[in-house]
Amino acid sequence: MKKLISAPSLFMGAGVFLVVGLLLGFWWAPVDASSMGFSQKIFYYHAPIAETALVAFGISFVAAILYLRSQDLKWDRLGFVCVRLGLLFSVMVMITGMIWGKASWDTWWAWEPRLTTFLLVCFLYIAYWVLRSVVEEEQRRATYAAVFAIIAFIDVPITFFATRFLPEGLHPVVITTGDTGMEGSMFASFFISMIGMTLLLVALIRSELVVESLKDRVADLKHKIGG
Amino acid sequence: MSSGRQFMAILRKDLIRELRTREMLISMILFVLLAMVIFHYAFTVKEGADLTFFTGGMLWVTFIFAMLLGLNRSFAQEKDERCLDGLLLCPVDRVTIFLAKTAGNLIFLLIIQVVAVPIFTLFFVQRSYAGDLLQFLIVLLLADLGICALGTLLATISMNTRSRDLLLPIIFLPLIVPVLIAATGATTLIFAEGASFGSLLARVLFLLGFDAVFMVAAYGTYDFAIGE
Amino acid sequence: MSIEEAARFVAAAYAVILAVLILYFIITARRVNVLKRDMELLEQEVERRQPGGASEG
Repeated sequence: MKKLISAPSLFMGAGVFLVVGLLLGFWWAPVDASSMGFSQKIFYYHAPIAETALVAFGISFVAAILYLRSQDLKWDRLGFVCVRLGLLFSVMVMITGMIWGKASWDTWWAWEPRLTTFLLVCFLYIAYWVLRSVVEEEQRRATYAAVFAIIAFIDVPITFFATRFLPEGLHPVVITTGDTGMEGSMFASFFISMIGMTLLLVALIRSELVVESLKDRVADLKHKIGG
Repeated sequence: MSSGRQFMAILRKDLIRELRTREMLISMILFVLLAMVIFHYAFTVKEGADLTFFTGGMLWVTFIFAMLLGLNRSFAQEKDERCLDGLLLCPVDRVTIFLAKTAGNLIFLLIIQVVAVPIFTLFFVQRSYAGDLLQFLIVLLLADLGICALGTLLATISMNTRSRDLLLPIIFLPLIVPVLIAATGATTLIFAEGASFGSLLARVLFLLGFDAVFMVAAYGTYDFAIGE
Repeated sequence: MSIEEAARFVAAAYAVILAVLILYFIITARRVNVLKRDMELLEQEVERRQPGGASEG
Protein backbone atom coordinates (compact mmCIF):
# COMPACT_ATOMS: atom_id res chain seq x y z
CA MET A 1 0.00 0.00 0.00
CA LYS A 2 2.82 2.34 0.93
CA LYS A 3 4.40 1.64 -2.42
CA LEU A 4 1.15 2.53 -4.10
CA ILE A 5 0.86 5.96 -2.60
CA SER A 6 4.51 6.89 -2.84
CA ALA A 7 5.21 10.05 -4.76
CA PRO A 8 6.41 8.55 -8.02
CA SER A 9 3.46 6.20 -8.36
CA LEU A 10 1.08 9.04 -7.56
CA PHE A 11 2.59 11.09 -10.33
CA MET A 12 2.36 8.21 -12.72
CA GLY A 13 -1.23 7.54 -11.76
CA ALA A 14 -2.04 11.19 -12.23
CA GLY A 15 -0.30 11.19 -15.59
CA VAL A 16 -2.30 8.22 -16.79
CA PHE A 17 -5.61 9.75 -15.88
CA LEU A 18 -4.69 13.10 -17.33
CA VAL A 19 -3.53 11.69 -20.63
CA VAL A 20 -6.54 9.41 -20.95
CA GLY A 21 -8.87 12.24 -20.09
CA LEU A 22 -7.22 14.44 -22.66
CA LEU A 23 -7.40 11.85 -25.42
CA LEU A 24 -11.02 11.10 -24.66
CA GLY A 25 -11.80 14.77 -24.63
CA PHE A 26 -10.29 15.30 -28.01
CA TRP A 27 -11.21 12.17 -29.87
CA TRP A 28 -14.30 10.78 -28.22
CA ALA A 29 -16.27 13.76 -27.00
CA PRO A 30 -17.99 15.73 -29.74
CA VAL A 31 -17.11 19.27 -30.67
CA ASP A 32 -19.18 21.69 -28.68
CA ALA A 33 -22.40 22.70 -30.39
CA SER A 34 -22.42 26.25 -29.05
CA SER A 35 -20.61 29.16 -30.61
CA MET A 36 -17.42 28.18 -28.84
CA GLY A 37 -16.89 25.16 -30.98
CA PHE A 38 -13.51 23.57 -30.85
CA SER A 39 -12.05 25.94 -28.28
CA GLN A 40 -14.37 24.44 -25.70
CA LYS A 41 -11.88 21.60 -25.50
CA ILE A 42 -9.76 23.78 -23.25
CA PHE A 43 -12.40 23.05 -20.66
CA TYR A 44 -11.17 19.49 -20.14
CA TYR A 45 -8.17 20.75 -18.22
CA HIS A 46 -9.30 24.26 -17.28
CA ALA A 47 -12.20 23.10 -15.11
CA PRO A 48 -10.32 20.29 -13.31
CA ILE A 49 -7.49 22.70 -12.54
CA ALA A 50 -10.02 25.11 -11.05
CA GLU A 51 -11.59 22.37 -8.97
CA THR A 52 -8.17 21.18 -7.81
CA ALA A 53 -7.17 24.68 -6.76
CA LEU A 54 -10.28 24.90 -4.62
CA VAL A 55 -9.57 21.48 -3.13
CA ALA A 56 -6.07 22.65 -2.25
CA PHE A 57 -7.45 25.71 -0.49
CA GLY A 58 -10.02 23.52 1.21
CA ILE A 59 -7.28 21.35 2.62
CA SER A 60 -5.52 24.47 3.89
CA PHE A 61 -8.76 25.43 5.63
CA VAL A 62 -9.02 22.10 7.40
CA ALA A 63 -5.32 22.16 8.24
CA ALA A 64 -5.75 25.62 9.74
CA ILE A 65 -8.52 24.44 12.02
CA LEU A 66 -6.51 21.40 13.02
CA TYR A 67 -3.52 23.58 13.82
CA LEU A 68 -5.53 25.92 16.02
CA ARG A 69 -6.86 22.96 17.94
CA SER A 70 -3.61 21.07 18.36
CA GLN A 71 -0.92 23.74 18.02
CA ASP A 72 1.02 21.10 16.09
CA LEU A 73 3.16 22.80 13.48
CA LYS A 74 2.82 19.95 11.01
CA TRP A 75 -0.65 21.25 10.19
CA ASP A 76 0.74 24.68 9.60
CA ARG A 77 3.21 23.21 7.18
CA LEU A 78 0.51 21.32 5.31
CA GLY A 79 -1.59 24.45 5.16
CA PHE A 80 1.19 26.55 3.70
CA VAL A 81 2.07 23.88 1.13
CA CYS A 82 -1.54 23.65 0.04
CA VAL A 83 -1.88 27.42 -0.26
CA ARG A 84 1.21 27.58 -2.46
CA LEU A 85 -0.03 24.79 -4.67
CA GLY A 86 -3.48 26.31 -4.74
CA LEU A 87 -1.95 29.55 -5.97
CA LEU A 88 -0.04 27.67 -8.65
CA PHE A 89 -3.23 26.04 -9.87
CA SER A 90 -5.17 29.30 -9.62
CA VAL A 91 -2.66 31.05 -11.84
CA MET A 92 -3.03 28.25 -14.33
CA VAL A 93 -6.80 28.61 -14.19
CA MET A 94 -6.47 32.24 -15.04
CA ILE A 95 -3.99 31.72 -17.86
CA THR A 96 -6.05 28.99 -19.50
CA GLY A 97 -9.17 31.02 -18.82
CA MET A 98 -7.68 34.00 -20.58
CA ILE A 99 -6.64 31.90 -23.56
CA TRP A 100 -10.12 30.43 -23.71
CA GLY A 101 -11.52 33.93 -23.47
CA LYS A 102 -9.41 35.11 -26.36
CA ALA A 103 -10.62 32.16 -28.40
CA SER A 104 -14.27 32.63 -27.50
CA TRP A 105 -14.77 36.37 -27.23
CA ASP A 106 -11.66 37.70 -28.94
CA THR A 107 -10.49 39.50 -25.85
CA TRP A 108 -7.75 38.58 -23.42
CA TRP A 109 -9.58 39.89 -20.39
CA ALA A 110 -13.21 40.25 -19.44
CA TRP A 111 -14.62 41.10 -16.08
CA GLU A 112 -16.63 37.94 -15.98
CA PRO A 113 -17.34 35.76 -12.94
CA ARG A 114 -14.77 33.00 -13.45
CA LEU A 115 -11.73 35.13 -14.14
CA THR A 116 -12.57 37.72 -11.50
CA THR A 117 -13.28 35.15 -8.82
CA PHE A 118 -9.94 33.49 -9.37
CA LEU A 119 -8.19 36.83 -9.59
CA LEU A 120 -9.58 37.71 -6.17
CA VAL A 121 -8.69 34.27 -4.84
CA CYS A 122 -5.12 34.82 -6.00
CA PHE A 123 -4.94 38.15 -4.18
CA LEU A 124 -6.44 36.56 -1.11
CA TYR A 125 -3.87 33.83 -0.82
CA ILE A 126 -0.98 36.03 -1.84
CA ALA A 127 -2.06 38.12 1.14
CA TYR A 128 -1.80 34.93 3.24
CA TRP A 129 1.75 34.53 2.00
CA VAL A 130 2.59 38.14 2.77
CA LEU A 131 1.10 37.79 6.24
CA ARG A 132 3.34 34.82 6.91
CA SER A 133 6.40 36.68 5.75
CA VAL A 134 6.01 39.50 8.27
CA VAL A 135 5.72 37.41 11.40
CA GLU A 136 8.97 36.04 12.72
CA GLU A 137 8.02 33.75 15.54
CA GLU A 138 6.97 30.29 14.43
CA GLN A 139 3.92 29.61 16.58
CA ARG A 140 2.51 33.08 16.24
CA ARG A 141 3.01 33.01 12.48
CA ALA A 142 1.23 29.70 12.27
CA THR A 143 -1.62 31.03 14.42
CA TYR A 144 -2.14 34.18 12.39
CA ALA A 145 -1.82 32.26 9.15
CA ALA A 146 -4.40 29.75 10.35
CA VAL A 147 -6.88 32.46 11.32
CA PHE A 148 -6.44 34.10 7.95
CA ALA A 149 -6.67 30.81 6.07
CA ILE A 150 -10.00 30.12 7.74
CA ILE A 151 -11.37 33.57 6.95
CA ALA A 152 -10.01 33.44 3.41
CA PHE A 153 -11.55 30.12 2.56
CA ILE A 154 -14.92 31.21 3.89
CA ASP A 155 -14.64 34.22 1.62
CA VAL A 156 -14.06 32.13 -1.51
CA PRO A 157 -17.63 30.91 -2.03
CA ILE A 158 -18.91 34.30 -0.92
CA THR A 159 -16.80 35.96 -3.61
CA PHE A 160 -17.97 33.37 -6.11
CA PHE A 161 -21.59 34.27 -5.43
CA ALA A 162 -20.93 37.97 -5.32
CA THR A 163 -19.42 38.00 -8.80
CA ARG A 164 -22.05 35.74 -10.23
CA PHE A 165 -25.37 36.80 -8.78
CA LEU A 166 -24.79 40.40 -8.00
CA PRO A 167 -24.31 42.24 -11.24
CA GLU A 168 -22.10 45.21 -10.65
CA GLY A 169 -23.96 48.44 -10.75
CA LEU A 170 -26.79 49.06 -13.16
CA HIS A 171 -25.29 47.94 -16.40
CA PRO A 172 -23.56 44.69 -15.83
CA VAL A 173 -21.54 43.13 -18.59
CA VAL A 174 -22.66 39.56 -18.43
CA ILE A 175 -20.82 37.14 -20.61
CA THR A 176 -22.17 33.66 -20.32
CA THR A 177 -19.60 30.95 -20.23
CA GLY A 178 -21.72 28.64 -22.28
CA ASP A 179 -20.68 25.41 -20.65
CA THR A 180 -24.11 24.34 -19.58
CA GLY A 181 -25.35 20.83 -19.94
CA MET A 182 -22.71 18.37 -20.96
CA GLU A 183 -23.13 15.28 -23.02
CA GLY A 184 -22.20 11.95 -21.46
CA SER A 185 -18.93 11.61 -23.30
CA MET A 186 -17.97 15.16 -22.46
CA PHE A 187 -18.70 14.57 -18.83
CA ALA A 188 -16.75 11.33 -18.75
CA SER A 189 -13.68 12.94 -20.27
CA PHE A 190 -13.97 15.84 -17.88
CA PHE A 191 -14.39 13.52 -14.93
CA ILE A 192 -11.38 11.43 -15.78
CA SER A 193 -9.26 14.54 -16.17
CA MET A 194 -10.55 15.73 -12.82
CA ILE A 195 -9.42 12.55 -11.10
CA GLY A 196 -6.05 12.99 -12.78
CA MET A 197 -5.68 16.58 -11.60
CA THR A 198 -6.66 15.70 -8.06
CA LEU A 199 -4.13 12.88 -8.03
CA LEU A 200 -1.60 15.35 -9.35
CA LEU A 201 -2.39 17.66 -6.46
CA VAL A 202 -1.91 14.88 -3.93
CA ALA A 203 1.38 13.92 -5.57
CA LEU A 204 2.55 17.53 -5.49
CA ILE A 205 1.57 17.89 -1.84
CA ARG A 206 3.58 14.81 -1.00
CA SER A 207 6.59 16.01 -2.90
CA GLU A 208 6.42 19.44 -1.28
CA LEU A 209 6.17 17.90 2.18
CA VAL A 210 9.23 15.79 1.45
CA VAL A 211 11.14 18.93 0.44
CA GLU A 212 9.99 20.64 3.62
CA SER A 213 11.21 17.79 5.81
CA LEU A 214 14.52 17.85 3.96
CA LYS A 215 14.77 21.53 4.79
CA ASP A 216 14.05 20.68 8.39
CA ARG A 217 16.82 18.08 8.47
CA VAL A 218 19.32 20.52 7.02
CA ALA A 219 18.34 23.16 9.57
CA ASP A 220 18.67 20.56 12.33
CA LEU A 221 22.14 19.61 11.20
CA LYS A 222 23.22 23.21 10.96
CA HIS A 223 21.99 23.67 14.48
CA LYS A 224 23.94 20.67 15.70
CA ILE A 225 27.11 22.06 14.26
CA GLY A 226 26.39 25.14 16.22
CA GLY A 227 25.57 27.40 13.31
CA MET B 1 -18.40 41.90 35.94
CA SER B 2 -20.82 40.53 33.40
CA SER B 3 -19.91 40.48 29.73
CA GLY B 4 -22.47 43.15 28.98
CA ARG B 5 -20.90 45.55 31.42
CA GLN B 6 -17.39 44.66 30.30
CA PHE B 7 -18.51 45.39 26.75
CA MET B 8 -19.85 48.79 27.74
CA ALA B 9 -16.75 49.57 29.73
CA ILE B 10 -14.37 48.85 26.89
CA LEU B 11 -16.59 50.63 24.40
CA ARG B 12 -16.87 53.66 26.60
CA LYS B 13 -13.13 53.76 27.09
CA ASP B 14 -12.48 53.74 23.35
CA LEU B 15 -15.14 56.32 22.62
CA ILE B 16 -14.07 58.70 25.36
CA ARG B 17 -10.46 58.40 24.37
CA GLU B 18 -11.18 59.36 20.80
CA LEU B 19 -13.82 61.96 21.50
CA ARG B 20 -11.47 63.75 23.83
CA THR B 21 -8.92 64.55 21.16
CA ARG B 22 -11.06 63.95 18.10
CA GLU B 23 -7.80 63.66 16.14
CA MET B 24 -8.66 60.50 14.32
CA LEU B 25 -12.22 61.50 13.56
CA ILE B 26 -11.30 64.87 12.17
CA SER B 27 -8.54 63.39 10.02
CA MET B 28 -10.82 60.71 8.68
CA ILE B 29 -13.58 63.21 7.88
CA LEU B 30 -11.13 65.47 6.11
CA PHE B 31 -9.78 62.51 4.20
CA VAL B 32 -13.25 61.51 3.07
CA LEU B 33 -14.15 65.00 1.93
CA LEU B 34 -10.87 65.43 0.11
CA ALA B 35 -11.35 62.07 -1.58
CA MET B 36 -14.69 63.24 -2.92
CA VAL B 37 -13.16 66.32 -4.44
CA ILE B 38 -10.37 64.27 -5.92
CA PHE B 39 -12.88 61.85 -7.39
CA HIS B 40 -14.60 64.70 -9.14
CA TYR B 41 -11.40 65.82 -10.80
CA ALA B 42 -10.30 62.28 -11.46
CA PHE B 43 -13.45 61.26 -13.28
CA THR B 44 -14.83 64.38 -14.89
CA VAL B 45 -12.91 64.28 -18.10
CA LYS B 46 -15.63 65.52 -20.37
CA GLU B 47 -17.69 68.64 -19.90
CA GLY B 48 -20.83 67.75 -18.04
CA ALA B 49 -19.85 64.12 -17.53
CA ASP B 50 -22.47 62.17 -15.66
CA LEU B 51 -21.05 60.37 -12.68
CA THR B 52 -24.34 58.92 -11.54
CA PHE B 53 -23.29 55.32 -12.11
CA PHE B 54 -20.09 55.89 -10.21
CA THR B 55 -21.69 57.26 -7.09
CA GLY B 56 -22.05 54.02 -5.13
CA GLY B 57 -18.50 53.07 -5.95
CA MET B 58 -17.02 56.41 -4.99
CA LEU B 59 -18.86 56.45 -1.72
CA TRP B 60 -17.86 52.99 -0.58
CA VAL B 61 -14.29 53.12 -1.80
CA THR B 62 -13.88 56.29 0.23
CA PHE B 63 -15.34 54.77 3.37
CA ILE B 64 -13.30 51.60 3.07
CA PHE B 65 -10.04 53.48 2.70
CA ALA B 66 -10.97 55.85 5.49
CA MET B 67 -11.62 52.85 7.72
CA LEU B 68 -8.22 51.42 6.87
CA LEU B 69 -6.63 54.65 8.02
CA GLY B 70 -8.70 54.73 11.16
CA LEU B 71 -8.07 51.11 12.08
CA ASN B 72 -4.36 51.50 11.62
CA ARG B 73 -4.34 54.57 13.76
CA SER B 74 -6.44 53.31 16.63
CA PHE B 75 -4.76 49.93 16.90
CA ALA B 76 -1.28 51.39 16.56
CA GLN B 77 -2.11 53.74 19.39
CA GLU B 78 -3.36 50.89 21.52
CA LYS B 79 -0.28 48.88 20.87
CA ASP B 80 2.10 51.71 21.57
CA GLU B 81 0.36 52.61 24.77
CA ARG B 82 0.11 48.93 25.68
CA CYS B 83 -3.56 49.26 26.42
CA LEU B 84 -4.27 45.90 24.90
CA ASP B 85 -1.76 44.16 27.13
CA GLY B 86 -3.38 45.67 30.16
CA LEU B 87 -6.77 44.63 28.93
CA LEU B 88 -5.67 41.07 28.32
CA LEU B 89 -4.54 40.77 31.91
CA CYS B 90 -8.10 41.22 33.07
CA PRO B 91 -10.41 38.21 33.00
CA VAL B 92 -12.29 39.49 30.00
CA ASP B 93 -13.74 37.19 27.41
CA ARG B 94 -11.77 37.78 24.23
CA VAL B 95 -14.91 37.90 22.17
CA THR B 96 -16.22 40.72 24.33
CA ILE B 97 -13.14 42.71 23.43
CA PHE B 98 -13.81 42.00 19.77
CA LEU B 99 -17.44 43.07 19.98
CA ALA B 100 -16.60 46.20 21.91
CA LYS B 101 -13.89 47.23 19.48
CA THR B 102 -16.08 46.50 16.49
CA ALA B 103 -18.87 48.54 18.01
CA GLY B 104 -16.47 51.38 18.66
CA ASN B 105 -15.20 51.36 15.10
CA LEU B 106 -18.75 51.16 13.82
CA ILE B 107 -19.72 54.24 15.78
CA PHE B 108 -16.73 56.14 14.43
CA LEU B 109 -17.63 55.14 10.89
CA LEU B 110 -21.22 56.23 11.41
CA ILE B 111 -20.13 59.61 12.75
CA ILE B 112 -18.01 60.12 9.66
CA GLN B 113 -20.85 59.05 7.42
CA VAL B 114 -23.29 61.44 9.06
CA VAL B 115 -21.02 64.24 7.93
CA ALA B 116 -19.90 62.80 4.63
CA VAL B 117 -23.10 61.47 3.09
CA PRO B 118 -24.98 64.78 2.93
CA ILE B 119 -21.98 66.47 1.36
CA PHE B 120 -21.55 63.61 -1.06
CA THR B 121 -25.20 63.91 -1.99
CA LEU B 122 -24.69 67.57 -2.60
CA PHE B 123 -21.71 66.97 -4.84
CA PHE B 124 -22.77 63.97 -6.83
CA VAL B 125 -26.37 62.89 -6.48
CA GLN B 126 -28.84 64.50 -8.85
CA ARG B 127 -32.10 63.11 -7.66
CA SER B 128 -33.56 63.17 -4.21
CA TYR B 129 -33.55 59.74 -2.62
CA ALA B 130 -35.51 60.74 0.44
CA GLY B 131 -38.14 58.23 -0.52
CA ASP B 132 -35.57 55.47 -0.46
CA LEU B 133 -33.86 56.66 2.68
CA LEU B 134 -34.76 53.61 4.71
CA GLN B 135 -33.31 51.25 2.13
CA PHE B 136 -30.20 53.36 1.94
CA LEU B 137 -29.71 53.32 5.68
CA ILE B 138 -30.17 49.58 5.90
CA VAL B 139 -27.60 48.99 3.19
CA LEU B 140 -25.30 51.47 4.90
CA LEU B 141 -25.57 49.80 8.27
CA LEU B 142 -25.10 46.26 6.99
CA ALA B 143 -22.10 47.15 4.89
CA ASP B 144 -20.63 49.16 7.78
CA LEU B 145 -20.96 46.18 10.08
CA GLY B 146 -19.13 43.91 7.65
CA ILE B 147 -16.36 46.42 7.18
CA CYS B 148 -15.92 47.04 10.90
CA ALA B 149 -16.10 43.42 12.00
CA LEU B 150 -13.64 42.22 9.41
CA GLY B 151 -11.46 45.25 9.88
CA THR B 152 -11.27 44.86 13.63
CA LEU B 153 -10.36 41.18 13.37
CA LEU B 154 -7.68 41.76 10.76
CA ALA B 155 -6.25 44.86 12.40
CA THR B 156 -5.77 42.87 15.58
CA ILE B 157 -3.57 40.50 13.62
CA SER B 158 -1.74 43.02 11.48
CA MET B 159 -0.84 45.23 14.41
CA ASN B 160 1.31 42.47 15.86
CA THR B 161 3.35 41.95 12.74
CA ARG B 162 6.46 43.56 11.42
CA SER B 163 4.87 45.79 8.82
CA ARG B 164 1.79 46.76 10.84
CA ASP B 165 -0.10 49.33 8.84
CA LEU B 166 1.26 48.24 5.48
CA LEU B 167 -0.14 44.79 5.94
CA LEU B 168 -3.72 45.71 6.78
CA PRO B 169 -4.85 46.87 3.31
CA ILE B 170 -3.32 43.78 1.71
CA ILE B 171 -5.17 41.32 3.90
CA PHE B 172 -8.34 43.38 4.21
CA LEU B 173 -9.16 44.47 0.68
CA PRO B 174 -9.47 41.08 -1.02
CA LEU B 175 -11.82 39.94 1.73
CA ILE B 176 -14.05 43.00 1.60
CA VAL B 177 -14.63 42.91 -2.17
CA PRO B 178 -17.94 41.02 -1.92
CA VAL B 179 -19.27 43.69 0.45
CA LEU B 180 -18.06 46.32 -1.95
CA ILE B 181 -19.85 44.68 -4.85
CA ALA B 182 -23.14 44.37 -3.00
CA ALA B 183 -23.03 47.77 -1.35
CA THR B 184 -22.02 49.76 -4.42
CA GLY B 185 -24.61 48.00 -6.52
CA ALA B 186 -27.36 48.80 -4.07
CA THR B 187 -26.20 52.35 -3.41
CA THR B 188 -25.81 53.21 -7.07
CA LEU B 189 -29.26 51.83 -7.74
CA ILE B 190 -30.72 54.00 -4.99
CA PHE B 191 -28.88 57.13 -6.10
CA ALA B 192 -29.49 56.71 -9.80
CA GLU B 193 -33.02 55.45 -10.16
CA GLY B 194 -34.43 54.72 -6.77
CA ALA B 195 -35.09 51.18 -5.68
CA SER B 196 -37.75 49.39 -3.77
CA PHE B 197 -36.92 46.70 -1.26
CA GLY B 198 -37.73 44.09 -3.82
CA SER B 199 -34.96 44.97 -6.21
CA LEU B 200 -32.48 45.37 -3.39
CA LEU B 201 -33.46 42.19 -1.62
CA ALA B 202 -30.71 40.04 -3.07
CA ARG B 203 -27.98 42.48 -2.09
CA VAL B 204 -29.40 43.17 1.35
CA LEU B 205 -29.69 39.48 2.12
CA PHE B 206 -26.18 38.99 0.81
CA LEU B 207 -24.81 41.68 3.12
CA LEU B 208 -26.76 40.20 6.00
CA GLY B 209 -25.33 36.78 5.24
CA PHE B 210 -21.83 38.16 4.94
CA ASP B 211 -22.07 39.90 8.29
CA ALA B 212 -23.50 36.83 9.99
CA VAL B 213 -20.87 34.50 8.57
CA PHE B 214 -17.94 36.70 9.49
CA MET B 215 -19.24 37.55 12.93
CA VAL B 216 -19.36 33.83 13.59
CA ALA B 217 -15.90 33.34 12.10
CA ALA B 218 -14.53 36.17 14.24
CA TYR B 219 -16.20 34.68 17.29
CA GLY B 220 -14.41 31.42 16.66
CA THR B 221 -11.01 32.84 15.87
CA TYR B 222 -10.61 36.06 17.85
CA ASP B 223 -9.13 34.23 20.80
CA PHE B 224 -6.28 33.19 18.56
CA ALA B 225 -6.00 36.48 16.73
CA ILE B 226 -5.51 38.43 19.91
CA GLY B 227 -2.96 35.89 20.97
CA GLU B 228 -1.41 34.68 24.21
CA MET C 1 -13.38 30.86 -35.96
CA SER C 2 -12.03 27.99 -37.99
CA ILE C 3 -10.92 24.79 -36.41
CA GLU C 4 -7.27 25.52 -37.21
CA GLU C 5 -7.34 28.81 -35.33
CA ALA C 6 -9.26 27.32 -32.43
CA ALA C 7 -6.90 24.38 -32.30
CA ARG C 8 -4.00 26.77 -31.98
CA PHE C 9 -5.55 28.37 -28.92
CA VAL C 10 -6.36 25.01 -27.39
CA ALA C 11 -2.82 23.83 -28.01
CA ALA C 12 -1.49 27.02 -26.44
CA ALA C 13 -3.57 26.45 -23.33
CA TYR C 14 -2.32 22.90 -22.88
CA ALA C 15 1.22 23.97 -23.68
CA VAL C 16 1.04 26.53 -20.89
CA ILE C 17 -0.12 23.89 -18.42
CA LEU C 18 2.64 21.53 -19.49
CA ALA C 19 5.26 24.29 -19.36
CA VAL C 20 4.24 25.32 -15.85
CA LEU C 21 4.38 21.74 -14.60
CA ILE C 22 7.73 21.07 -16.22
CA LEU C 23 9.09 24.29 -14.77
CA TYR C 24 7.82 23.28 -11.35
CA PHE C 25 9.54 19.91 -11.60
CA ILE C 26 12.82 21.46 -12.69
CA ILE C 27 12.76 23.97 -9.86
CA THR C 28 11.84 21.33 -7.30
CA ALA C 29 14.55 18.98 -8.54
CA ARG C 30 17.06 21.77 -8.15
CA ARG C 31 15.84 22.55 -4.64
CA VAL C 32 16.06 18.92 -3.66
CA ASN C 33 19.58 18.58 -5.07
CA VAL C 34 20.81 21.60 -3.20
CA LEU C 35 19.25 20.36 0.02
CA LYS C 36 20.61 16.85 -0.41
CA ARG C 37 24.09 18.19 -1.04
CA ASP C 38 23.87 20.43 2.02
CA MET C 39 22.66 17.51 4.05
CA GLU C 40 25.55 15.29 3.00
CA LEU C 41 28.11 17.98 3.73
CA LEU C 42 26.56 18.72 7.10
CA GLU C 43 26.30 15.05 8.01
CA GLN C 44 29.97 14.61 7.21
CA GLU C 45 30.74 17.64 9.35
CA VAL C 46 28.70 16.30 12.26
CA GLU C 47 30.48 12.93 12.08
CA ARG C 48 33.84 14.63 12.06
CA ARG C 49 33.03 16.49 15.22
CA GLN C 50 31.82 13.37 17.02
CA PRO C 51 34.04 11.05 19.14
CA GLY C 52 35.39 9.87 15.78
CA GLY C 53 37.31 13.13 15.77
CA ALA C 54 39.26 12.17 18.85
CA SER C 55 42.38 12.15 16.76
CA GLU C 56 42.08 15.89 16.38
CA GLY C 57 42.12 16.28 20.16
